Amino acid sequence: MVRNIVILSGNSHPALSESVCNMLGIPAGNRILSKFSVGETRCEIKDSVRGKDVFIIQSGGGSVNDHLIELCIMISACKTGSAKRVTAVLPLFPYSRQPDLPYNKVGAPLSKPPTEVPKDKYTFESVPATPAPGITKSASFGKETDLARVMSKTSLSNGTGNGIPRTNSENYFNANGNTNGDIASAQNYLTHSRTGSYTTHDYENPGLISTFQAKPGYKRWVAQAGTLVADLLTCAGADHVVALDLHDPQYQGFFDIPMDNLYGRPLLKRYIQQNIPDYKEAVIVSPDAGGAKRATAIADSLGMDFALIHKERRPTRITDRQNATMMLVGNVANRVCILVDDLADTANTITRAAKLVRKEGATAVYALLTHGVFSGDAIARINASALDKVIVTNSVPQDEHKRLCPKLEVLDVSPIFAEAIRRIHHGESISVLFQYD
Amino acid sequence: MGDMANEIKLLSGNSHPSLAKAVADRLGIEIAKTMSLNYSNQETSVTVGESVRDEDVFILQSTAPGDINDGLMELLIMIHACRTASARRITAVIPNFPYARQDKKDKSRAPISAKLIANMLQTAGCNHVITMDLHASQIQGFFNVPVDNLYAEPSVLRWIRENLAGQETVIVSPDAGGAKRATSIADRLDRGFALIHKERPRPNVVGRMVLVGDVVDKVAILVDDMADTCGTLAKAAATVKEHGAREVIAVVTHGILSGDAITTLNNSCLSQIVVTNTVPLGDKVQRCKKLRVIDVSPTIAEAIRRTHNGESVSFLFTHAPV
Repeated sequence: MVRNIVILSGNSHPALSESVCNMLGIPAGNRILSKFSVGETRCEIKDSVRGKDVFIIQSGGGSVNDHLIELCIMISACKTGSAKRVTAVLPLFPYSRQPDLPYNKVGAPLSKPPTEVPKDKYTFESVPATPAPGITKSASFGKETDLARVMSKTSLSNGTGNGIPRTNSENYFNANGNTNGDIASAQNYLTHSRTGSYTTHDYENPGLISTFQAKPGYKRWVAQAGTLVADLLTCAGADHVVALDLHDPQYQGFFDIPMDNLYGRPLLKRYIQQNIPDYKEAVIVSPDAGGAKRATAIADSLGMDFALIHKERRPTRITDRQNATMMLVGNVANRVCILVDDLADTANTITRAAKLVRKEGATAVYALLTHGVFSGDAIARINASALDKVIVTNSVPQDEHKRLCPKLEVLDVSPIFAEAIRRIHHGESISVLFQYD
Repeated sequence: MGDMANEIKLLSGNSHPSLAKAVADRLGIEIAKTMSLNYSNQETSVTVGESVRDEDVFILQSTAPGDINDGLMELLIMIHACRTASARRITAVIPNFPYARQDKKDKSRAPISAKLIANMLQTAGCNHVITMDLHASQIQGFFNVPVDNLYAEPSVLRWIRENLAGQETVIVSPDAGGAKRATSIADRLDRGFALIHKERPRPNVVGRMVLVGDVVDKVAILVDDMADTCGTLAKAAATVKEHGAREVIAVVTHGILSGDAITTLNNSCLSQIVVTNTVPLGDKVQRCKKLRVIDVSPTIAEAIRRTHNGESVSFLFTHAPV
C-alpha cells in the first residue's frame, strides 16, 4: 500500500520508530549507525533511497548532541544518495526550549556596589537609568569616582551573591556535615535551594557557574541555539520537518522549509475524558504563565475550570519557604487538579506547582505533559512530590523512567506520527488530524 | 575607547583549554570570558560574559576523543552566539578537524560527513577556518570561506633534527596515502624513504602489510597525520622491525589515541611516539612512557596573529616559530 517510502530510525528512540513502521506496515530501513572509537558518528544507509521519500525518526532526549549530529549525518547521507525528499521527524525537538538567562538575585553588575542600596528600598528602576532626555548620565557616580575600581568591585559580588547554602531549607540533603563532597552538595543546593536563580534548566556542574564572572560592566547572556538547530537541519539537507508540541510556536518561523507541528493535545484530552473520574469538576492548572495558553485551550474545549500559577520573580525578600515565590490564581480547594505543561525536564516547576495546589486544598494532583525528559534527579523528585499521577507521551523513551516511577503513565504517540507520515507522503492534509471538536 | 574594537578575541571551547591557554599566553592576551557547560538534559549551554561586538573573534576548539559531537555542537553554538553578538569576523580554529576521515563517498550512500561539518560551520556563521594537517587537503574545497591548513611539518622537522641528530634514519610512510607527507619530510632532511602498503578490510582494523624500501640497521621514523587506535602504527612498526630496522619511532601530528591505543603502543616495538598537542592528551603521557609531545601552540598563535594583521600565513609552512 505504502510504496516508495523509507523510514529510517536514529539511535535515540528505536521503539517509537518500530511502532510507527508496524502501523505503516513497512519494515524500517536498513542502516548502520554506530560510533568510531574516536567518538565520531558512523552512518551507512544500507537500502537504496534513490528517488524515495525518506523519513528519519530521531528524538531529542538522551545525549542530545550525538543524536542531533547523527540525524544531520543521516539526512546528508540520504541526500547524497539521491533521495527525493528527506523529512526529519523529531518527536522531541532538541534545543527547542530557549533557556532563560541564569537569573540571579544580584543580577547584572550594577554601576554601584549593591551594598550601597538598602535592601528594603528597591525602586524597581533600572540602574543606571535608561538614557533619556532629562536624565543625567550615570546618575550614581560623582565626578571623582574611579569607574574602573567601582566596576571591579561589583564584578566580585556578581554571580556569587547567594552565599552559603541555608540549612533546613529542604529535606533532600543536609547542608551541615555533608561529607559527600562539595560538588554533590553544591548540586543539591543549586537544584533545591536556589531554584529562584536558575529557572528552566539545571546545570550539571554548578561549581563553574559560581566562579564564572562576566567582564565588569557586561551583562552575561546565554546563547540561544534555536535558529542554529533549524539552520543545521536545513543545511544538512532536510526538506521537511515534523515535530510534536513545540515549546514555542514561533519556532516554526525559524525554518525556511515546511514544518509541521503536531499536537499532543487531543491525546491528553482523551486521557482526561476517559481516565479522570468526574473530570468536569476538576481544574486545569497551568504551572507557569507561559503555558497558560496551552492549558486554557484544553480547559475551554472540555468546558473545565482553569487556574494558573504565577512565579513571583520580583526581588522581594526570600522567606524560608520555597513556595513564597509562587502564587496561585484561581480556586482549587476540594477539587482534582490537572497540571498541564508541554515539557518536564528537571520537574522542578511541576513538583513545586503540585506542592502549592495541594497546600491550597486540591484533593488529587495529576500532571499531563507531552514530553517527559526527566533529566537529573527528576524521577526521584516526582516520587517524593505531591503528584498523584504523571502522564507523559513516549516522545522520548520512557521505559527506564516507568521502571523507576510508579506514578508514571505513558501515552503512545506513534499513531500520530504514523498517520502524519502517511499523510505527508500522500500529500493529504495534516490539519485534519487535529480538528477533533 | 573607540579604537578598542577589532582586537583579537580568543574564545576557548571545553575540549582543549590547555592549548587555548598556551595560545593566549603566546599572544599575550586573556582568553575571553565565556562558559560552556551541559544542562542536565545534556543540551549544551554557552554563556557569553564579554562583548565581542566588532571584534576579530577566534574560537579554538579541538576534538576530545569520545566527545566529538558535544565539542562540535559547542563550537557551533559559540560561533552562532558570536555571530548574533555582532562580531566582525569569526574564525574557527580547529587544530584537528573532526570527521576528516569521512571525506568521500567510498560506498553507496556513505555520508560525506566532512562536507557536512564544513557546511554546518558556515551555516553557524564562521568566516574563516584555521586547521592543521588536514587528513585530505581537498577538505579545504568543501568550504566557501578561506581555510588555512597549517602544517606541523616544520615543528616535526625541528624535533627530528634536535633529537635524532647523527643517527642513520629513514622516513617510512605507514600507508600509501601518506607517502607525499613522508617524502616531503625525507627530502627536507635529505634522508631515505620507505613505504608500507597495507590492506584494510574494515574500519579500525588492519590487514596484511608489505614494506617497500630499505630500513636495515637504520632508525625508522614512521610519519603519519594521525594515530587513532594505533593498530596501523603498531603493525607498521612490527613490519619495519622485521625488515631489520634498528629502532622504530613514530612521528604523528594528531595523537587521537582512542580506544586501546595506549595499551597497543605500550606493547608495540616502537621506542618513541611523538605527537603534537593538537588533541588533548589527558593522562596519556603518564600512562605511556614512550609518548613525546611537540607543542604546536606557537604555530597556531602565530597563524592567529598573522590572520588578524593580514600578514601572510604561508611563511609558517616553511618556518617553525621559535
